[in-house]
Amino acid sequence: MTEEPKAAGPTGNIPAASPAQPAELRRDVTVWGSYMWGFADVGADTFVALGLVFAYAAGAAPLAFLLAGLVYILIGLAYTELAAAYPVAGGGQYFALRGLGDFWGFVSGSALVLDYTIDIALFAYFSATYMDHFVPQLAKMTVSMGPFSEVKIGLALQTLLLIAFLTWLNIRGMRESSLLNEVIGVLVIVTESAIICMGLIFAWHPELLAQQWSATFARFHWKQFLYGASLAIISFVGLESISQAAQETRRPATIVPRTSIALIFTVFLFAVSLSVLTLGVVRWEVFQDEHNVGQSVALVASHLPWIGPVAQDFTAALAALVLLISANSGVMSVSRVAFSMSKFQFISPWFEHVHPRFRTPARAVLIFSGIGAVQVLLASLTASAIDTLANMYAFGATLGYTLVMISLIRLRFADPYTPRPYRVPLNWKTQRGGLAVYWPVLGVLGLLGVATVLLVVLYTHTIAAIAGPSWVLGCFAYYAWYRKSRGLPVFRSVRRDWEREQRAVLEAAEEFDLLEQYRVALAARDKMQRTGAR
Amino acid sequence: MSGLALAGTFAASMGGLLWWMLHPPAPIGPAVARAVRGVSAVRRILVPVKGTSYSNRAVELACRLGQEQEAEIVLTYVIQVPLALPLGTPLDRDEAMAQDALGRASQIVELHGLKAVPDLKRDRDVAHGVLDASRAHGVDLVVLGVNPRRVAAGESMGKSIEAILRKSGIELIIDLVPESQEVGRK
Repeated sequence: MTEEPKAAGPTGNIPAASPAQPAELRRDVTVWGSYMWGFADVGADTFVALGLVFAYAAGAAPLAFLLAGLVYILIGLAYTELAAAYPVAGGGQYFALRGLGDFWGFVSGSALVLDYTIDIALFAYFSATYMDHFVPQLAKMTVSMGPFSEVKIGLALQTLLLIAFLTWLNIRGMRESSLLNEVIGVLVIVTESAIICMGLIFAWHPELLAQQWSATFARFHWKQFLYGASLAIISFVGLESISQAAQETRRPATIVPRTSIALIFTVFLFAVSLSVLTLGVVRWEVFQDEHNVGQSVALVASHLPWIGPVAQDFTAALAALVLLISANSGVMSVSRVAFSMSKFQFISPWFEHVHPRFRTPARAVLIFSGIGAVQVLLASLTASAIDTLANMYAFGATLGYTLVMISLIRLRFADPYTPRPYRVPLNWKTQRGGLAVYWPVLGVLGLLGVATVLLVVLYTHTIAAIAGPSWVLGCFAYYAWYRKSRGLPVFRSVRRDWEREQRAVLEAAEEFDLLEQYRVALAARDKMQRTGAR
Repeated sequence: MSGLALAGTFAASMGGLLWWMLHPPAPIGPAVARAVRGVSAVRRILVPVKGTSYSNRAVELACRLGQEQEAEIVLTYVIQVPLALPLGTPLDRDEAMAQDALGRASQIVELHGLKAVPDLKRDRDVAHGVLDASRAHGVDLVVLGVNPRRVAAGESMGKSIEAILRKSGIELIIDLVPESQEVGRK
């Protein structure tokens, strides 16, 4: 018998449970909470990606955001369908497990772990760069160590301190106030919306946009553009968080599709609008300076008439805070993935250990935050730490998304009985064994899109092309050792009663309508099988 | 001016999205869900066909019940063969009437875009024939149209219907349109 998993609650703490009863996730995430859970992660991405994409895609940055955004919308719709149909913690890792089996579930899990640890590193790093708007001397501190010159030691140390702070908070069992999160989320939405609206009305020059756009296309560099577009995908990474929180969301099958779709389109609107605004407000060349890349949104805010300097300071402070919260969501999410991977016997139950005093997944927090810190150190040795971390982030995200898209298609056939309160639109209906099955046309297009982005990442990002697959291989070595040591198959799947689990999940989620639909579908299947047998 | 238009579009899109998100449908309790989904579970409906107005109405009702879940409508016409005759005796007039009734009923079903499964049976007893067909087709529901004149005259609903009621063991819906209403429609 396998050990029952314990799971972290929304606060990062482990809910108390009697010894005989496994810990259950409490369902107290509301509509706004579910949206904010995702926004805390994705909303911060724009602060990271804006300057980076401009640095490579130049005047074509809005097009890069638009293309990446279209791929992201397709991925987002797939996540929406899967998270509503399978409202359990684990996100992409769980969907790949259900759709493709244990091995691919593990690969997806390893991509997610990479993404979350990079999330800790990258967002803490960016939080530090925005903080340095107030203390610019720190950002300028550099040292040379052997073959590594101009290492930004000030920023690296600052980032390590922030990661250490987040680790301490999460081990101590920080009672993350969802109210505080929601207030900050509202502040970010209002601030970004105000920057966009005021900027478009008072500071935007369409002729500047047209001139930069034409100049870029007059000397168009495909590779640079593709690089920028593949980086633009990181402004949309984090939708995963809503799926991660689905098991803690009230009526997830009803709420998750709404919050996911709203999140997909609000973030898409922010990214495209902000890039259009930026191109009509500043010259893209300013983002060739990494210092400006690290404070891109604040730089745009500084061009607002009348309130420019105040808006710049306010945006920088808000960005530093929201990026830190995003880094913190990386710490919390990675512990959830670790629990899920442990539950399905991909990694040792050692990671499930709960601190006896603080009741937090202390080992998982410590190990994965430590990995994030190592990533910061290694990235700081490269020419551009931001670029290196963003490369790795894009690799992990696109690999995970590719597997999710494949799982979406596969699950339509492998599990047509699970009710889907939301279905990715545009389907081709076919009959299979007397049952109507729907080919997701947009799912196939999304798969082609994200697989293309993955190839572009591998083609254009030298570090990601080596370090990304090496990470997955390293994780596989551990997985293979662990599964062998437990007498479990490495490439095949362990038998599981998914139907019982699905019924239990829907019952716990109080999604009675879906539960009835599921029972009816299974009864119809059983009846058909009996009739067929006769 | 173009900036103002873009800003307006942005604000309206954001506001609309968030408003839609914050207004989800009301939750459904287990009892309501069971009742709603119980009807959706009906995938195959049988209607005994006689070619009369009330049996045609039963076909129409069955179609409406099965519309959402695209149910199959099994249309069963039972030719009652007297005990004095062998079961395979040619009964041309009855056969022609049965084909005619099944044709009309199939037309009603096809108007709804559903699949009609016409089934012409011979049996000594109509009720036995209907029950036999319901088992053979594995139906989930039987919709019976009742002759209003018979009921208005103070008679029972009919021997066959009462036998089906007692022995079917599956869900039954009886449709009885009062004779006055039936006349009014004519």
